[in-house]
Amino acid sequence: MKTKYLILIIALIICLISILSIYSTNYQKDAEPWKSIYKRQILWVLIGLVFFFLAANFNYRQLWDAVYILYAVVLLLLLLVFILGIIRLGAQRWLKFAWFNFQPSEVAKIVMAIFLAKYYSKKSLYDFSSPVKNFGLWKAFILPFIFVAIPVGLIIEQPDLGSGLLVVFLFLIILFLAEVKVRYLVMLVIVALVAMPVFWHFLRDYQKERLMVFINPNIDPLGAGYTVIQAKIAIGSGGIFGKGWLSGTQSQLHFLPEAHTDFIFSSFAEEWGLLGCIILLGLYYLLIRQGIAIAAKTGDAFGRFLAMGITLMLGIQVCINIAMNLGLAPIVGVPLPLMSYGGSSLFVTFIALGILVNISKERGVF
Amino acid sequence: MRIKILNFLLIFIFCLLLLRIFSFQVAQSSRLRELSDQNSIRLIEQEGGRGVIYDRNSQVIAGNSLSHDLMILPQDKQQVARALPVVARVSGISLEELKSRFKKGYTASFAPVVLLKNISLKKAIAFGELKTEYSCLVIQPHPLRSYPAGKLACHVIGYLGEIDHWRLTKLKDYGYKTRDIVGFGGIEEKLDYYLRQKEGALSLEVDHKGKFIRLLGFKPPQDGKDIQLTLDIRIQKLAEEALGERKGAVVLMDPYSGEVLVMASSPGFEPEAFLGPSVKATQSFSNSALVNRAISSSYAPGSVFKLVTAAGGVETKKINLSTTYFCPGKLRVGNRDFACWDTHNQENLAAAIAHSCDVFFYKTGLLIGPQALHDYAVKFGLGKPTGIDLPYEVNGFVPDPLWKKISRLQGWYDGDTANFSIGQGDLLTTPLQISRLVAVFANQGTLVTPYLIKSVGGVNFEDPRRRQSRVPVKKEIIGYLRKDMIGTIKDPSGTANILAVLPVEIAGKTGTAQAGPNRTHGWFAGFFPYAEPRYVICVFLEGSGSGHMASILAKQIIQGMIDQKIL
Repeated sequence: MKTKYLILIIALIICLISILSIYSTNYQKDAEPWKSIYKRQILWVLIGLVFFFLAANFNYRQLWDAVYILYAVVLLLLLLVFILGIIRLGAQRWLKFAWFNFQPSEVAKIVMAIFLAKYYSKKSLYDFSSPVKNFGLWKAFILPFIFVAIPVGLIIEQPDLGSGLLVVFLFLIILFLAEVKVRYLVMLVIVALVAMPVFWHFLRDYQKERLMVFINPNIDPLGAGYTVIQAKIAIGSGGIFGKGWLSGTQSQLHFLPEAHTDFIFSSFAEEWGLLGCIILLGLYYLLIRQGIAIAAKTGDAFGRFLAMGITLMLGIQVCINIAMNLGLAPIVGVPLPLMSYGGSSLFVTFIALGILVNISKERGVF
Repeated sequence: MRIKILNFLLIFIFCLLLLRIFSFQVAQSSRLRELSDQNSIRLIEQEGGRGVIYDRNSQVIAGNSLSHDLMILPQDKQQVARALPVVARVSGISLEELKSRFKKGYTASFAPVVLLKNISLKKAIAFGELKTEYSCLVIQPHPLRSYPAGKLACHVIGYLGEIDHWRLTKLKDYGYKTRDIVGFGGIEEKLDYYLRQKEGALSLEVDHKGKFIRLLGFKPPQDGKDIQLTLDIRIQKLAEEALGERKGAVVLMDPYSGEVLVMASSPGFEPEAFLGPSVKATQSFSNSALVNRAISSSYAPGSVFKLVTAAGGVETKKINLSTTYFCPGKLRVGNRDFACWDTHNQENLAAAIAHSCDVFFYKTGLLIGPQALHDYAVKFGLGKPTGIDLPYEVNGFVPDPLWKKISRLQGWYDGDTANFSIGQGDLLTTPLQISRLVAVFANQGTLVTPYLIKSVGGVNFEDPRRRQSRVPVKKEIIGYLRKDMIGTIKDPSGTANILAVLPVEIAGKTGTAQAGPNRTHGWFAGFFPYAEPRYVICVFLEGSGSGHMASILAKQIIQGMIDQKIL
């Protein structure tokens, strides 16, 4: 099918841009392991492709039945991280599988998308009506909130504020899509506002600092504000045409921290300029557009919610990450899907795209 | 549909992001590009040497010597912490002071910080030995102005110092910056633009830790242009030794070309003292030691001016060569007696010049009148700068009746004319102007422009402003007075008779000018050898001198020249 190939091609173009950028950011690093990390990314992409085809050929309807098992597995993994993270100093977000460091919070994102899609739809393929209309406040809102809050709490405790908030965002959007009564949403917002000071109290010091710096990066130009300022310099100094591939001084000379992971967009913008940025944003938009189109065409409620959830999961990550690079959002450690270096995020993104393709395929049966 | 709302929301957010990217990459691009370069590009300045100033025989008057700075590389913080106490011990500077210097001078971890400036060679070697243990120490040699002849010709050369605000505002457009070292006074100031070295620089690319990545470019420093002066430091030295601690000036120049061989002013100063860090505190300059008395200050010329009075008198036919006046020792002008310094009885022009008879010239001056006297003084180059290639030359002053009426609201009296005709009163001249005046007699009628700069950067320096002009006085009259000037020396009762013992024939004129109560300036101005003059000499003693004392000085200098076989 056309959509299938379009999604794959766009994803592969973005991956290619990603590999070029990762190669460039580590171009001048002396140590050999750094220089070859682009090779690892190529490997991740190849493995990701396998995951993509597996997911694309796995009937998504079976996820409906497996959802509680998946949910339990994610909780287990997150707890495992929590326990092992305490034992292993420093690394709180990863689980080590032989040679691969695995990030369970990435898996949690997609599992929560599946979970919520199931929760707000009926199993029957022919019943399009949303079940929410019959739900009360408890079933429509508080119960799923508890289901969401448990993994989110664990993720934030890792600490990974970005992924945690992302799941909360996803929850809100699915609530919105599931045509939950508007007053419930308004209520939620009020509760969130009231809870904010309490929430603030539970944040780590460095997270508070990042939020403060987001409001004014000049508070601490050498500490937390440094990244924001350097990212701005990196992007701006690229100009319209960019400094050229392998010529970005901000990223190559390490003025920009996290230049190949969370701030890969800044590295890319420095070398490729405004034209490159427009192309990259265009590609992301096309990809998300495909997802939305699939969701709109899909008949069954579960498939539609799932497609929408997955698409928006990607969309929100793209928006938050780029906004973070541009100083429009606090630095919360959300990777740029398909661009940032890292296996977990790449695999999960490819699986998500595979599920999307699968949903569009299933539609053909009817 | 809620899906549509979300789709619009997404498009809206993407547009917002693009707008922000546009603002960064287009609107703020140049500023951010600059910041990016500032991040990664560092400039290390490289110093060149200032141009050397030579005398006419290529002897160095102001050169460059190698000086050493002790610098420290901050890259290895622990080593720096260990090295500082050792540096403190060797240099004798307290550790706190060194630490504060290190903190003040620190810019980036790759850039060395200067701890000690201009250390002695001995210390430099001592620190050099420490280098094996403390690799962070760097001994940086750089050229520093040196004066092998000490204070010799200090007024002609000038001194160096940090640029002041006034000069900076004027010189900004020529690439001068704050904290630049520039010349003050003399050749150092006049030719600063040529003498000054062009700074070179290394531009480096560094990473976020200040670690060197690669060399982007190197512009080697350029030494300033060397200057050759017309001075002869051998004679200059004789002149300055003769002057000693007395206030005064000596000028020796070529009467035909205007080349100045000697320009001495006393008291002098040590130009080296200005190189130190706190000059103003350590040096006090009494007796206006910084003033070049040969050009920057003007004095009453006294009897030397009688040459002008005589030339004017003969030219205007008020007197002739055989005019004789009787000198009873004084002359009554108006209701005041004007004294002569002696009683000369019958004097003709030749004798009056030799004996410097005042009465003769009172009478001559009164016959010519003040305006004509003024005009002749101006014709002989008084009252305006000579145009020598040094800064801060003064005009001197030639009075006239109109000036007196305007500035003093007084009429011009005959007494003023009498004073004027013997070079007293309001007339003011510089020793250089007097040298030039005498040169007119030496070269038989040409007013030269004195100069000091022979070549700049190895190329002969031709200044179109060095004009020579004829003095509009008949050549015979000049020739006659020229001959009379021998009498000053040859005549046994001539005022500079002591010079007669020298084996060279000298012609000249002395002067003793009243400059206030118990204050006289002494002058001797002459040229030699008489037949083919090669030198014009002017000796001036300020405040406590007489023509006789000036003649003694001239004798010492000329004797020295003969002894050294220069003459």
